[in-house]
Formats: sequence, C-alpha cells, structure tokens
Amino acid sequence: MYIGRRLVLSVFVLLGLSIFIFTLSRVIPGDPARLSLGPMAPQWAVDQLRERLHLNEPLPVQYVIWLTNAIHGDFGESIVTKRPVILDVITFFPASLELVLLSTIVSTVLAIVIGAISGRRANSWFDNAFRLFSYIGIAVPTFVWAIMALFLFGYVWKILPTMGQLSTNIAPPPTITGMMGLDALLTGNITAFLDHFRYMLMPAFAMSIGRIAQEARILRSGFIENLKKDYITAEVSYGIPERSITFKYLMKPSLIPMISILGMDIAASMGGSFIIETIFNWPGFGRYGMWAMLNKDLNAIIAVVVIIGAFFAISNIVVDLIIASVDPRIRMMERGA
Amino acid sequence: MRSTWPLPFYIDPSVGTDGASSTAEYNLYDALIRIDFDGKTIPWVASKWNSSVDGMTYDFWIKKGIKFHDGHEMNAEDIAWSMTRFITLGTGRAYVLTPFVQNAIARNATVVRFTLKSTFGPFVSALNTFYILNKDLMMQHLKAGGQYGTMGDYGKEWLTVNDAGSGAYKVKKFNMAEKLVMEKHKDYFGGFNAMSPDIVEMIGTTEAMTVRTMLANKELEISDNWQSMENLKEIKKIPGVSIAASMDVSGGWYLMLDVKKAPLDDVHVRRALAYCFDYDQLTTTLFPDTVQMVGPVNTRLPGFNPDVFQFHRDITKAKAELALSKYATNITKYKISLHWCAEVPDEEKGSMLFMTNAAEIGIDVESVKTPWTSMVQEASSLETKPHIMYISAAAAYPEAGSLLINRYHSKQALTWWQNEALLNTTLDTAMEDALKTVDYNTRMAKYKAIQKDIVNICPSIFMFQAISYRAFPDYVTVPYVKYGKFEKTGSLGNVYSYQGSGGMEFRLFEVNRLVTYAG
Repeated sequence: MYIGRRLVLSVFVLLGLSIFIFTLSRVIPGDPARLSLGPMAPQWAVDQLRERLHLNEPLPVQYVIWLTNAIHGDFGESIVTKRPVILDVITFFPASLELVLLSTIVSTVLAIVIGAISGRRANSWFDNAFRLFSYIGIAVPTFVWAIMALFLFGYVWKILPTMGQLSTNIAPPPTITGMMGLDALLTGNITAFLDHFRYMLMPAFAMSIGRIAQEARILRSGFIENLKKDYITAEVSYGIPERSITFKYLMKPSLIPMISILGMDIAASMGGSFIIETIFNWPGFGRYGMWAMLNKDLNAIIAVVVIIGAFFAISNIVVDLIIASVDPRIRMMERGA
Repeated sequence: MRSTWPLPFYIDPSVGTDGASSTAEYNLYDALIRIDFDGKTIPWVASKWNSSVDGMTYDFWIKKGIKFHDGHEMNAEDIAWSMTRFITLGTGRAYVLTPFVQNAIARNATVVRFTLKSTFGPFVSALNTFYILNKDLMMQHLKAGGQYGTMGDYGKEWLTVNDAGSGAYKVKKFNMAEKLVMEKHKDYFGGFNAMSPDIVEMIGTTEAMTVRTMLANKELEISDNWQSMENLKEIKKIPGVSIAASMDVSGGWYLMLDVKKAPLDDVHVRRALAYCFDYDQLTTTLFPDTVQMVGPVNTRLPGFNPDVFQFHRDITKAKAELALSKYATNITKYKISLHWCAEVPDEEKGSMLFMTNAAEIGIDVESVKTPWTSMVQEASSLETKPHIMYISAAAAYPEAGSLLINRYHSKQALTWWQNEALLNTTLDTAMEDALKTVDYNTRMAKYKAIQKDIVNICPSIFMFQAISYRAFPDYVTVPYVKYGKFEKTGSLGNVYSYQGSGGMEFRLFEVNRLVTYAG
C-alpha cells in the first residue's frame, strides 16, 4: 500500500514536471523546425516540419498530443539524432545508469567506512584529515575532479584509459541490457568486463568524490549524535564489545539520514552526468540531454527531464523502502497508519 | 586510425553539413564528380558528361564495375533515385540543387539524365556533395507511415547509423554519442594508399586534456581542428607529435554590417569601420597564421577577383570617411551592437579588438555574446537583427558564385547568411545572370565584376580566411601535407592549401604503425 501510494504520487509529480518543462522548452528562443533542418532548408520544408511537430497548435493542444503519444511510449523524433527519441533513450540511458550504479557502490561503501571511523574516532587525526577532505570534496566541482583524474591517471602515470568504453583490441559483448559491463558478465566475457571496468573507474571515481564527502559527513554526524544517547552509555557500561556497539547498535540509526541523502545523490548523479560523459567521451544520457538543450530538441528535452524525474522518484521510493527495513519504527508507523 | 571530432555528426548525406558530417559522408559515399587537389572538377563515378546547348539537360555516363558496400553494382537508377531523394527531402546541402533540378531519370543502365528548371552554370561542380545511395538497399529499409507516401521516411531513420554507399569506407558501428567506426571497402574502385588504415574511428570528443593525453599515449592518429592555440602549443611539446595546418579554401570570417540600420545605413560609416580595423593584429596575434580576406570571396575559390580593393588599417582615412557621413556630428549617440557566437569563444577576441578599434574613431560598439540558436532567430527579422554579426561562411561548391549568392542575394536577406540585408536588385540580377551563364570563363568574369561592386558598397568587414591546425604522430602521413600546396611556415607548423575534401580523405592517409582492432 505504501509503495502504491508513493507510485501514484510520483505520477502526479511527473505530470507536473512534464507540463513545466514542456512550457519552458517552448519559451526558449529558436525555431526547432528551422534548427532541425538547418538554415538553408527551404521554407516549405520548415513549414511542413512545423506541421508535423504540431508547433502551430496552441500550447495545451500540443501538450495533450505529446502526452497521448508518450503514454504509448512514443516520445516523438529527435531533431538532433533524427530518429525516435525512445531509440535514443534505449541506447544512451543504460550507459549512464552503469556509471551511476558503480559510483553509487563506490561512494556508499567508502562513505560508510570513512564516516564510521571518523564518527567513532571524532577529533582524531583521521577525523581531522577526513573533515578537511570533505570540505574540499564538496566545494570542488565534479568536472575538476574529472580533469585532475584524467591528468594524473591518464597523462602523467598512464595507468588508466582516458576515454571511451573498451580497448580497440577487445571485441565488445553483444548488447543485452545496454550496460556493457553487465552484458559482458552475462555472456561470460570476463576479459571485456575487466577491460570495461578499467574504463569506468575514472568517470565513476570523479562522480563519487563529492558524494563520499557529503555522505560520510552525514554518517559521521549520526555517529557522534547517537554516541551521546543513553542506550549507548548503558551498552558500554555492560561491557558490550566496541565492535558490536559500532556495527550493531550505532550503525543502523546513524545510517538513516545518509540513506535519505543517497537517494537524492543518485538522481543528481544521473542528471549531472553530462559533464563527466563529455570529458570521458562516455555515450550516456546526460550528454544526450545536453545536445537536446543546446539544439532546442523539444521532444528529447521533455523525454530526458521526465525520465530523470521518474528515475528520481523511483530511487527515492527504493531508498524509503531501505530506510523502512533498517528502522523498525517506520514500519510500525506505516502499520499504524 | 583514430581521429577526434565534435559531436553530434551525421552520416546521412541529406542531413549533415558540418565538417565532421562532411568528412564522414565523403569517405562513405561517392559523387559523380570530384574536386582534385588543384580545385578542378574531375570525373569520379561518372566517366564523362555533356549538356544540351541551352544548359537545361545534363547526361552523365557511369563507370562500370563500381560496387556498393553490399556488393551490388551501381547503375544509373541508383543515381536517379538518390537525386530524387535528395531534392525531395530538401535538407542538408540540397539547397544548392533544389532551386534548379527538375528531375533525374535513368536513360539506361549507365546513363543518367538531369533536367533542370532553369539554367545553372555551375551545375556540374555543384554535384560535389550529391552522394549516390544504393537504391535497392534503401528500399529494404524504408519506414512505413513516413511523410513521403510510398517512400515512407525515405530511409532516414535507418541511415542515422547505417550507410548505403560505395565509398572507400563503410560503417562498421556508429554510436552517435561516442564514435563512428568504419572499415575498408575492399572492392573500392578508387584504390587505397599502401599504408592506408583498415579501420578508421571518428571519436566524438574535442576535450583539450583528452586529446592531449591520447596523443601522448599514442592512442590518436589525428586530432580535430577545434583545439585552442594554448593546447596546441602544449601538444607541440609532446615528443613524436607534429602539427600542420590546412588553409580554408572555400570561405572566410565576416563582420556582417546591417546596411538598413542607422548608422550603418551610411556607406561612409561602414568604410570608416573597415579602415579602422586592425587586420594585422587580427591575423598575427589573435588568429596567428590566418590570411586577411581580399574582398568577399576566399582567395582560393575559382572566380576570385584579386584586383578588388583591400582595406587596411588607416585611422586617418577612417576619420575622413566618418567626416563625410551624415552621422559625422552625432555618431556618438549611436550604440552599435555586435553579436558573436557564444559557442565559439574565440570570436570574443575579434569582437573586442573591433570594439577597441571603433572607439578610436568615436564609434561605440557593444560586444554581445549570443547563443547560436538566438543568432539564427534574430537574423530572421529586420527588427531583431543586430547591427553587426560575426560569422563565418563557406561556399557549397568550388565557385565564387556559391559564396556570393548565399552571402549577398536578397533571398538570403533574412537568414544568418546575410545580416547585411542588402536587398539590392541590381546585384541580385547580376548574380542570377552569372549563375545562368554556362560558359565557364564568362561566368568567372561576371563573378569578378560582382565582387568589385560589393566592395564598393562595403556591406561587410572582410576579416580573415581561417586555418585549421591538426596534430598527428610522426608515424602518420596526412593527405593535405603530402598532396597539398605548401603556403607558408606558421607559428606552430607548416600551412598547406588543399582542395577537395579538406585533406581528410582516409584512403590517402598513411599510418605506419600496427594497432590491433577487435571490435
């Protein structure tokens, strides 16, 4: 019931988002038909395309036409790629998802380890060093980390590849999910998987630095806060081992705020991936979205925003479910409701 | 062979017109004719052609044995169908031919006839970007329900990531957000250089650090031409990497002055601006190794008039011209807006220089950074056009007329091609007459006369002809270096001029290094 309620609410959110972005995209200067066909295309071709794109209809009519088609999976044609937007989504979205998933795994694991140590050893040298790192990690933009990583690992030390998804001397796996690493695993191509993993390291690392800093800080704060609680003092006085206190009694309640942020971070990573994808020539959804914005590709703009919005909604639902499984008080509240 | 290019680019010959798309299309497809290294039109798929006396019909004979990538032999029907598709879609470079071509029919298996709506003197050379598609293959990939009746979508969707060509290379794989991978077409009738690459990758990135790193790691055989001078200077320090430039042989950079908008509606004000501009600083400091334009047409285009007047910086003459204008006493009341393209940051340098120079004679110029989409929209109306637009323009086929008609004919007055809005019927008539002239020498003479008239009106500041620097490792021989004409030694490397495809014909490259490709 909880999931159902959240899903229904998400639909309304997405509808509102689509109306907003639909209107906004039509306010941006530039004739999408002229932009699509080029400045030298004859006027009759431009007029014809305007008719096909329903650009001469009133805005509400245009929206209803779009919505009716979108419900059937037809987001129209992209003026940048010159093919159905849904094809572009199928091609580019998995590549971004793969990066976001890896950066999420990396950032979550490291944030938990660093945040726990830092919280447990507050004001130690480790904690002080981490706090300095966290300021830098949050303040420095992702693209700076990306360029620094490229410079160090690709140019100076030459230990990681600089761009693309796979070495030229390795055959790519067949496309199943669109996520090359997963496709390589599913087809048993370990060589391709390991090679592809090398290509993912730098972009995923650049994506995760800021997140590690932020999430670890939140976990650290949770630890410090909960350490003051009476039940912890009681456990210490009972002689319960420190490890048990840390991982069994402190970790769960401290994780909850971090997990909440995690949901937002995942969605933000998807939306902000374009800069990483541009620097590392990663053929992802963020880059596609950037083309759409710059070329006033109306159909693609709306599709990108709505899909990222849906991704945001789903990731937050998943995060809420995780929180509910971690925190029994929330499950009881739901049952009571 | 790996090369870098800006994204997105297209491989459908009816779509892409930018440099990357043009390069891909040139290598995937063939045209009836070609432009050779010296700028002459030579037979390619066609073995010969002739035209009727009135220039209204052209017959082309097709060479035998030219194979498409799927093994099918090219015939006249493929050409007729391709032309019908080209002018029906009307996109890409079709604008060159759609006003003139009535239809195309296959007279038999080896002769195709084009019938024109009106005489078009440059018709043959204008076929240089009309590419021939495999009709049978295309017919298998038409998407039903498209806007072209029985032809569906005319194969547009399929051609976004596939090819139907006969060119030296064929598409192996194309991920539009990453790279185009092409492999050799072993049955190519035009042949290959001995060390030409078997696989070519057009990689979609121009990021400075990425390109530099790839060159240093020997992961790149030729860079794109969008690298900044600063990055090229760093690249030059990499051992084993050379830099050479190809000169723009078809167009140039202009400051387009709106002659309908005060105070630019006075020719003396326009001449004053032309006299005050520091062309030397432009071509030596801001854009090193470039060449100042001589009139409205690129110096390498057939039909260029070397005798037209060329402006040079002369503040005395600038002030004298201003004194003759009707705005002499109140020029300071006018703020002239100069819009430059936000997506080309280098334009700001030229814009600031012009602003500074204009201020020396009391003319207030405001430099405005404008997104390209806005510039296109602004140009479409007399009310919204800025005083000056900073834009480059190039000829679609190798004749001065191509540039003149797009830049100065009234039909282009409300497009980004022509911020000047000349709307000069005398010039229009002269240009139309020149294009109708079938005799080559007479046509060239007419182009030259038109250029003189344009310079007298001074509707533009004719800035410079660009050069394109590319970096490549020493084990690569680049066509424009090997076959081009040496022009001069530039600040970063030698500068060459090369007609035809701009020196990026992949079958003419020589790559003396083995890189294993398993894709």
